[in-house]
Amino acid sequence: MSNQTSLTAVANRPTGSSASRRLRAEGRIPGVLYGHGMTPIALSVERRDLRVALSGPAGVNAILELSVDGSTYPAIVKELQRHPVRRTVSHIDFQQINMNEEITVAVPVRLTGNAKAVLAEGGLVDAAVDTIDIRCTAMTLPNEIVIDVTEMQPYDVIRLSEVALPAGVSAVGDPDTAVVTTLFQSKEEVAAPAAEADPAAPAAPAAE
Amino acid sequence: MLMPRKVKHRKHHRGRMTGMSKGGNELAFGEYGIQALEPGWLTARQIEAARIAMTRHIKRGGKVWINIFPDKPVTKKPAETRMGSGKGNPEFWVAVVKPGRILFELSFPNPETAREALDRAVQKLPIKARVVTREETI
Repeated sequence: MSNQTSLTAVANRPTGSSASRRLRAEGRIPGVLYGHGMTPIALSVERRDLRVALSGPAGVNAILELSVDGSTYPAIVKELQRHPVRRTVSHIDFQQINMNEEITVAVPVRLTGNAKAVLAEGGLVDAAVDTIDIRCTAMTLPNEIVIDVTEMQPYDVIRLSEVALPAGVSAVGDPDTAVVTTLFQSKEEVAAPAAEADPAAPAAPAAE
Repeated sequence: MLMPRKVKHRKHHRGRMTGMSKGGNELAFGEYGIQALEPGWLTARQIEAARIAMTRHIKRGGKVWINIFPDKPVTKKPAETRMGSGKGNPEFWVAVVKPGRILFELSFPNPETAREALDRAVQKLPIKARVVTREETI
């Protein structure tokens, strides 16, 4: 279950792209807090504090006690924007929650076990999705959804309706969505190396 | 090699490659990927060479995704031709890539082999690129 961690934020940050750039240069991440009918608050958090808060077992799904200028709000991370190359967080959205109300959260999927039948055929067990959208209260929010793939056979598919979820948690979305699949290289790809060795062929753009 | 089956216009302008990639910046399918670190044109041949380098190294038991498509025709005038007389003939196809774009993705059980395969593919590309995984820090 999600751990509750505290995080301190400073409200009334200057808004705009250049002011936000200056904030990032100082080691602070611009963000916003909204939800449950409150007026959105533009705020900023220390990059280091945020890293500590979101490095627990629940990761980015940690339930936060967000302190903003003396007031405390229970919140979750709704969105993290990252720099496309540096991958650092450039903006963060916090959503205020009610601890007893149901919320929809994307929880990561972790595969356990070794699908020997699939590996013996030269295949690969692959999670078709990284996260599953679930609906539950903040108190019952799991850190991850663990799926055992030991019994998987070649060309088996585990669908959303077949995933075992903890008590008080329900999945959101199409029950037929493939969650775990088995991948096999196509016969063309395996047989290709002999045919591929033709670098001298001219690249005539035939499309017209 | 990758190329469009049919195009609306046979000859394109060259265009500009300013800024960062707006989409396709995160791994969508595989566990590992190659991310562009600078802008450039990747020809269909270079994409194919990178794919071959990768698939030959992993042999079997993995899956490769190519996230870019060479849909831009590049024209060239014949050698020793005087200037003028219109735009040259389409010669090859390129994919326009901006920094941050995930070019290839790979799923493979062994992380070391996967990394080595992607490193070999990076060697075939005309731009700086790096191998990325799903783990990310704040």
